[in-house]
Amino acid sequence: MNTLSLTARISLLFAVAASLVLLTTGYFLTRAVEAHFVEEDRHELNGKLELIQNLFKHASSQKELDLLPQQLDDALVGHHGLAVAVTDAVGDIWFASSGADFPHTLLQDCQAQPAGCATGTLQQWKQSGISYRGMAVSMTTGDGRPFAVAVALDIQHHVLFMNKFQTVLALAIALAALATAGLGWIATRWGLFPLRQVTHMVAGISAERLADRLSVTGLPTELKPLATTFNAMLARLDESFRRLSAFSSDIAHELRTPISNLMTQTQVALSSARNKDEYKEVLYSSLEEYERMAQMVGDMLYLAQTDNRLLKPGLEKVDLAHEVQDLFDYFEAWAEENAVKLALAGSASVPGDRLMLRRALSNLISNAIRHTTQGQAVQVSLSRHGNQAIVSVENPGTEIPAEHLPRLFDRFYRVDPSRQRKGDGAGLGLAIVKSIVEAHGGSIAVTSTNEMTRFQLTLPALAE
Amino acid sequence: MKPFAFAELLARVRSLLRRGQAGLEPAVLKAADLELDLLRRRAMRGGRKIELTAKEFALLELFLRRKGEVLPRSLIASQVWDMNFDSDTNVIDVAVRRLRVKIDEGFASKLIHTVRGMGYVLETLPENAGP
Repeated sequence: MNTLSLTARISLLFAVAASLVLLTTGYFLTRAVEAHFVEEDRHELNGKLELIQNLFKHASSQKELDLLPQQLDDALVGHHGLAVAVTDAVGDIWFASSGADFPHTLLQDCQAQPAGCATGTLQQWKQSGISYRGMAVSMTTGDGRPFAVAVALDIQHHVLFMNKFQTVLALAIALAALATAGLGWIATRWGLFPLRQVTHMVAGISAERLADRLSVTGLPTELKPLATTFNAMLARLDESFRRLSAFSSDIAHELRTPISNLMTQTQVALSSARNKDEYKEVLYSSLEEYERMAQMVGDMLYLAQTDNRLLKPGLEKVDLAHEVQDLFDYFEAWAEENAVKLALAGSASVPGDRLMLRRALSNLISNAIRHTTQGQAVQVSLSRHGNQAIVSVENPGTEIPAEHLPRLFDRFYRVDPSRQRKGDGAGLGLAIVKSIVEAHGGSIAVTSTNEMTRFQLTLPALAE
Repeated sequence: MKPFAFAELLARVRSLLRRGQAGLEPAVLKAADLELDLLRRRAMRGGRKIELTAKEFALLELFLRRKGEVLPRSLIASQVWDMNFDSDTNVIDVAVRRLRVKIDEGFASKLIHTVRGMGYVLETLPENAGP
């Protein structure tokens, strides 16, 4: 089904609404004019009947009665279109002027029930193409003889007028409906102009120009939220897009350095004759480089899997205190070497994947040990708040500048861009932590002051 | 399912085969003048008792059971500490270095050797000539 354009819809609605209003008005107008004509006719007929009644009243003898038709004819002179008929007590036509043939019922009913004819009921009928309106009343002469008198008016001119009136009215309504549709079209076009403006602006935004924003000023109130929402969406898109392209360029950069190292090393080795040990040395060195690259690629793959929910956390009960203790055992010697103590407080259990959580905690703890000032301690605290388990890993050390904090969990992000890769991983550790925590329905936050850096994990706790 | 290295599977199968031949597990593991008493949880070298922590004991046990095999760091991490993922730290190097100080220092023939780019191995060399 084709959807009508907004402009067409609104124009159509305008036309329909206008037609309905005008038709109703026209109907009532026609009724009012008709009622007015009826009233006018009744008034005229009543006047004539009064006149005739007067004549009948004054006829109090047979002689005077015989003169009555002549008097009636005289009275009717000049009243074009007026017809009179009189019947006597028996029901025979006693007098009839030229003009209308009265329907028999009109006069007969009046004879049968004179009381019902006291005021006269207005009736309308058609006769050889001409419309009449008339009424009948019963009358008595001066000497008490009963008669029924009917008068009728030729109302053909009214009918003609009404026909013409209705034709003109219908034409006017049709024209008005058309005009309203046209005006509606113009109004809608004009009213929707800002929408077309917005569309035009939106059409101008491409992937290369995601930084562009719609200008909210000058837009009608109804369109402002649309533009604001659209701008917010653009901002999110822009951010993701930027991250994505930064990520791919980071991958390229991270891989380019070790590969060019390997190439240079191999080229130098091949440039002149070497003994066996020297070749061996080159191979060892290459092996180390391969290992680093393999670990980085492995980490990226793991990250991609957790991010895309390919690694679904199992839902076993994981005792975090136990995991942290195992990790402390693992890192103990290394921490001692760095003169860093390890402390654990509290306990908490969460539903989740033991291996994944262990990996996340391992990354946080090794990160904390690496950045702790000598002689200080890494403090891991576990607690439960309502239905959430809180894991906090704190280490005293140099402050991380605030501008780095929100991006700390980005892949390959390093606080110090010049820092070498040796012993510091590829900058994927915290990204992996974040990914694992989010796969468990939790969140991660970091705060840093000049003496303490604190990572906090919030995980859904195990229902007790 | 735990991830495992093919080398580890191979080593386990070999060790099982060896056990099958031996009939039952030995209570004492030996290498040159080093003895590890699994029942008494005690280590001796050259008749001198060596104090080991629980993890050091487990590490030495692994080395002795796989005598002559090169053990990659990831295998050591997974066997001794149950850490089945690569760490970007030198935790294993530190642990092995400490164990080495306890069992090799002061002895002419060294038992634990670094295999560059691959890992560590415990072996008795005919002469005091490490790689």
